[in-house]
Amino acid sequence: MSSIILEARDIRYRYPRGMEAIGGISFHIRRREKIALVGPNGAGKSTLLSMFNGMIRPDSGIMFFDNQPIQYDNTSLRILRKRVGFVLQNPDRQIIAPTVYQDVAFGPTNLRYTENEVKNAVTLALQQVGLDGFERRPPHHLSSGEKKRVAIAGVLAMDPDMLVFDEPTSGLDPAGSEDIMELLDELNNEGKTVIISTHDVELAYPWADRAILMLKGEILREDIPEVAFGNPEFVRKAHLSIPTLLELHMELEKRGLPLQGKKPRTVLDMMHSIEMMFENTCCHIRPGMITVCNVDQESRDYLSMWLSRQPGISVGAMGTRAKQCAENSQIRLDFTYGVIDKCILKALLGEDSLIMTTESMVQRVNQRVEAYGKESGIHITVSLLEAVIFPDNRGPGGHI
Amino acid sequence: MFEELLEDIAQKNGLREVNTYLKLITGLGAILLCLVSTSYIPPLFIALVLTGAILFLARVDAKTYAELFIVPIWFAVMSVAGIILISGGHDIFWRWDILPSFSLSITRESINQGMFVFFRVIGGMSAVCFISLTTPMTDIFTVFRQCRVPEIVLDLMMIIYRTIFIILDQVLQIYNAQVMRLGYSTWHESIHSFSSLCGAAFIASWNSGEDLIRAMDARCYDGKFAIMGETRPVEYIPLVALCAFLSISFTVVIFSEGITLM
Repeated sequence: MSSIILEARDIRYRYPRGMEAIGGISFHIRRREKIALVGPNGAGKSTLLSMFNGMIRPDSGIMFFDNQPIQYDNTSLRILRKRVGFVLQNPDRQIIAPTVYQDVAFGPTNLRYTENEVKNAVTLALQQVGLDGFERRPPHHLSSGEKKRVAIAGVLAMDPDMLVFDEPTSGLDPAGSEDIMELLDELNNEGKTVIISTHDVELAYPWADRAILMLKGEILREDIPEVAFGNPEFVRKAHLSIPTLLELHMELEKRGLPLQGKKPRTVLDMMHSIEMMFENTCCHIRPGMITVCNVDQESRDYLSMWLSRQPGISVGAMGTRAKQCAENSQIRLDFTYGVIDKCILKALLGEDSLIMTTESMVQRVNQRVEAYGKESGIHITVSLLEAVIFPDNRGPGGHI
Repeated sequence: MFEELLEDIAQKNGLREVNTYLKLITGLGAILLCLVSTSYIPPLFIALVLTGAILFLARVDAKTYAELFIVPIWFAVMSVAGIILISGGHDIFWRWDILPSFSLSITRESINQGMFVFFRVIGGMSAVCFISLTTPMTDIFTVFRQCRVPEIVLDLMMIIYRTIFIILDQVLQIYNAQVMRLGYSTWHESIHSFSSLCGAAFIASWNSGEDLIRAMDARCYDGKFAIMGETRPVEYIPLVALCAFLSISFTVVIFSEGITLM
């Protein structure tokens, strides 16, 4: 079990002349966890989040960060805020400076980085969110999705251990929301603890490692999403709705269908459960192959050539840089989120697919497909696209 | 209300990538030459060249550019009319004695003087337009920093610059909401709506201020504001163009000395 990064012990907070916003909360968050704080409006989610980086000091109770009680003097707060990045709901309120570069550089400059270090931090942060080349644009010329990314980059530039997002997808279109959730996944994969508050159950359900349901300043339930969202009583109390997949699964179970395996988090899980019911009919097709392309190594010309030899192949891109690469090479993307699952679904239909992704995520594709293989007993071949020009026309492929 | 601000045009103009100093020197030099010239020709020449640059190099929409001139030209025409009527001269075309000690007249000298002022206004306007349409504020901040403008002034300018757009946006939303509910249908209603718009704008800016402090604190604000360190390099062609423009204009100033319209 990984170590605890944040802990709250019986936190209480009352707004001046107001009602009690937080009434006795205790919980802990482990390193590298993905936590969704879910609850209706006015449940105290934002107030609680503001305590994570010391913006609000609880009236009673102690917050621990990295096993140290949070101190509220200026020096300690600075250190805390460097380590806990906070992204506000409204990017317009977070973006201070007249250009993207200056805004992202704000944190590092105040942390007394040298000019070169600032520049490197900014370049890296903008790359991470996929906004290279936006340095000199003024924020009011950006779309809301881009503004959100600038706000995230501004926090990333300080290289925090923990990222706190208040309603990361509010005001974004569905594709934009999925993009941001992908980005959060990517950041988590790079080793950051990510906490979001949201009331979008469908978005939080497949994403989170753990969900914390809040109501009226108290924790209603804290568990893995299947359990937290699976209890109709709690979900009703918290003014939420049961995720569609979970509801479907529950309804099928009520009808006495022999669903096996765990509760579904994704369409793939659901398909798996259903196919298990008709075991004899599913596996007569030879599963398709998934090819992984590491965009950091592959030359674009080679990729385009390879694709032209594979008509009808589905292409998915995972991660910001891979998506950019696809855009630059004018590759039409079939999937931009939930890519691995969708490619496995394709493979189950006997179709081949290509996943464009970056170095760090290649291993993840493998793990996910392997895990699925173990669970379902269906072996899907994953191969890495390599820039060796093969003499025969069959195309390259080597097992990882 | 302004839908597209000058700043927005400047952010997208064709000369955006040219070194900021070159653009500023072009504009300021043009204004200076307009002021030292004694004839109407150099301002006219400068106005034509800069208008050409704005329309064809910076690719600013001609209609937008023309609209910018409406207000100043109107002012110029009014004051030039005043100058022509009031300032006297020897070669009188028309004269009207209103009072024993005061008369209006149109003379050759007054027409020359009036047209000289008029073209100076046009020349100066086009120079100012050239700067404001090709150089966004964000680039000028960098220049200010290099010119050692005190940091606190500069920080304030940048925060104000950023906040203007946020508050303008909010004001526009409130205004639209009022218009949709017929807030400006009668005169009485307009006064009422406008006052509540002002109140709401004040509250909005107050809130933005508090948000700003919170946002800055959350990112370890320590009295420092980052600034783009670099400007675009001075390139050969723009530099030559600038030198050519200034030297030709200067020559025009010298050779046109004393030339008048009539």
